Amino acid sequence: MSGNRLIWFHGRECPHCRKLAPLVDQFEAETGIRLERLEVWHNDENAKLMRSLAAVIAPACGGDLGVPAFYNEATGKAICGGRIDMPKLLAWAKG
Amino acid sequence: MKRLWRCHVCNDVHWGNAPPEVCPTCGATNSFVPSDLGEALEIIGRDHPALDDREGVLAAWQWFSDQSPTVRLTAKADEMELLCKGVLENLRTKGQRYCPCRLPTGDREKDEGLICPCNFLRQPTFKETGECWCGLFVRRGTQ
Ligand code: SF4
Ligand SMILES: [Zn+2]
Repeated sequence: MSGNRLIWFHGRECPHCRKLAPLVDQFEAETGIRLERLEVWHNDENAKLMRSLAAVIAPACGGDLGVPAFYNEATGKAICGGRIDMPKLLAWAKG
Repeated sequence: MKRLWRCHVCNDVHWGNAPPEVCPTCGATNSFVPSDLGEALEIIGRDHPALDDREGVLAAWQWFSDQSPTVRLTAKADEMELLCKGVLENLRTKGQRYCPCRLPTGDREKDEGLICPCNFLRQPTFKETGECWCGLFVRRGTQ
């Protein structure tokens, strides 16, 4: 199942995700790199995928499966939390 | 092991490893006896109001905030409303008032730690930023 996607796991009722959305838009506009946005509270398939990546994502989120979480399929690296900024996003995307 | 206890004086119900020495409701000493779910439900009443609407959830959060010397509710009302929606959505779809920013795993014991408010004081995020994972509760004196 590991491809080359850059995935953003987000939640519809998560304030950090809402605040982060414009930054992700800006990231996509500036780099031309597209993120796959997967909502995990209202979509069981997406939640299942996120749970299957728990070994990588949970440690990045301080122990639980939190959102906003970003997972790079190519590198297997994850970043997580409300304090993500452009440099962090770039470093994660470029591996 | 946690279990249910009942004060034989005032029928206060307690869930824990051991009962309180002094009943917090009637003040009687060494008044608790082992109880069970049937008895406790009988005492509590099956019509005990559910915390399943916006007013109930916000009031519970406010109560928690008001009595805490260390943390308080966020001042960002729009975020609080959004989180309240998320918690109620989780109650409806996942059966419990789970954290709106962390995904339940399906492991009941683990997920007990995700009922809002959780024990966020031990989260690395709280230690670093003074906010719970979702930013619902913040350390007093910040912001
Ligand atoms: S992190 Fe905050 S919003 Fe989430 S369960 Fe804990 S107290 Fe509630
Ligand atoms: Zn009592």
